Amino acid sequence: MKKCLLMMVDDDPDDREFVRDAFDVCGFEGEFRYVEDGVELMDYLGRRGRYRAQENCPLPDLILLDLNMPRLDGKEALSAIKSDERLRRIPIVVLSTSETPEDIARTYDLGVNSFITKPSSFTELVGIAEGVKHYWMEIVKLPETAWRGKST
Amino acid sequence: MKEGKEEIERLRLRIRELEDELVRSSGEDRFRLVVESAPNGILVANREGRIVMVNQRAEELFGYSREEFEALKIEALVPRRFREGHGELRESFHEGPSTRPMGAGRDLHAVRKDGSEFPVEIALTPLPDETDALVLASIVDITERKRAQDELRRYADELERSNEELEGFASVASHDLQEPLRKIRTMGERLLHQSRDSLDERGLDYLDRMVRAGDNMQRLIRDLLEFSRVSTRGKSFRQINLLECVEEAVSNLEVTIEERNAVVRLGELPTLDADFGQMRQLFQNLVANAVKFHRDGVEPVVEIKSVTERSESQSWAVISVKDNGIGFDERYRDRIFAIFQRLHGKGQYEGTGIGLAICKKIAERHGGVISASSRSGEGSEFLVRLPLERGSGDGE
Repeated sequence: MKKCLLMMVDDDPDDREFVRDAFDVCGFEGEFRYVEDGVELMDYLGRRGRYRAQENCPLPDLILLDLNMPRLDGKEALSAIKSDERLRRIPIVVLSTSETPEDIARTYDLGVNSFITKPSSFTELVGIAEGVKHYWMEIVKLPETAWRGKST
Repeated sequence: MKEGKEEIERLRLRIRELEDELVRSSGEDRFRLVVESAPNGILVANREGRIVMVNQRAEELFGYSREEFEALKIEALVPRRFREGHGELRESFHEGPSTRPMGAGRDLHAVRKDGSEFPVEIALTPLPDETDALVLASIVDITERKRAQDELRRYADELERSNEELEGFASVASHDLQEPLRKIRTMGERLLHQSRDSLDERGLDYLDRMVRAGDNMQRLIRDLLEFSRVSTRGKSFRQINLLECVEEAVSNLEVTIEERNAVVRLGELPTLDADFGQMRQLFQNLVANAVKFHRDGVEPVVEIKSVTERSESQSWAVISVKDNGIGFDERYRDRIFAIFQRLHGKGQYEGTGIGLAICKKIAERHGGVISASSRSGEGSEFLVRLPLERGSGDGE
């Protein structure tokens, strides 16, 4: 079976490391990749810019999306993905420090699949990684897609 | 003889005429004296709007001399943009003359001889006369008052803006402060778990205390954020049933209440205009405090009830939250509502000291006040006074 691809979008290298470590600790066996902002994410998904010539850019099975990022922020990226027929079925989980009702309402309006506020301790982060892994990779059924179908 | 009598009669009539004239003219003089001594500018105009009398103050206000005034119609003193309709207004005044302020609720302006305008307040009084319908206009130059009002308003606006800025600052600062702190805590925690074996006892102790200090700072920042959100995230007011609200607050504290074997008694509580979420938080904080600061060996009893107080202009709900706990020294009755003020050592009771500060801010946002009284060792009573009618408060 194809390895699950988890794509994290976050401009903060410490946070990327924490999240990757948290997924490691809870036994995630898929592949963990990251991009640093919305522009890079859209480049990756559309195989543009530095990803144009790169081999091996499969679409992710789950995107962990930060909101506050330079260039193209999380909401803009979310809106772009959810209005793109080729990409809209990729589940997106916001993982941000924000807990404002406005951000939560707005991202759900834009079609986000879950909204998680970054916890303030590593123990909690491991709990969240476990929950995300269990729910999105074991419990839910996701639509068959070209990329998932092909490589199974 | 007859002629003599007639002559006397004629003279008597003449004397009466002269007497009457004397009375009339001295009355006029008295009237003139009153007009002259008035601190307001005074103009008397006839039905056609001709100015028939002015006092010195009016000369000063408008810059016309007495002679110049008497050649003018009253319309010459009205700004050009209002001149057209003024004749009609004058006519309608004469149809039902009564003493009244002019242009109630409108900003009135008058024009000086040099064409400059100044804000005025005018009172009109009809002066019935056998020959003409005269009107006395008493005019106050309110330039100074206006300026003071404008200044006050500008000051209030500025204050409000700076308050908003301060609240925005608290919220942004505490949000941004959380970022580095989150990392410090996360790495501290990881260090504690992963490198436990390579640290000696002293190192472990330092690390442990560091992590706990970080946790404490996290709580402080979270509380500061919560405090700043009372005004930035408040909902608008609607009619709420305070009993339902307090019941919800109490049920949120169920676990603590059961742990401590506490009893919470609810009396009658009113319906009032408020932000439900904030009211629940206010009473939740008060009940939580009452249960937290209990006396050793005494099961906490908290009583909540309300009475209505009426003053001339306002009805108040005075809600009392009374406990049988340790109480506090009344010297600190104001200090307990200040942010991050604690009366007890951290080892004794948990908490950052934000709870009552939030209560105070919520009460004030609702146009109310909160106060506390106690005798050490005999429990404390908190009184929340909230306006029963919609009025002050920023929830509109």
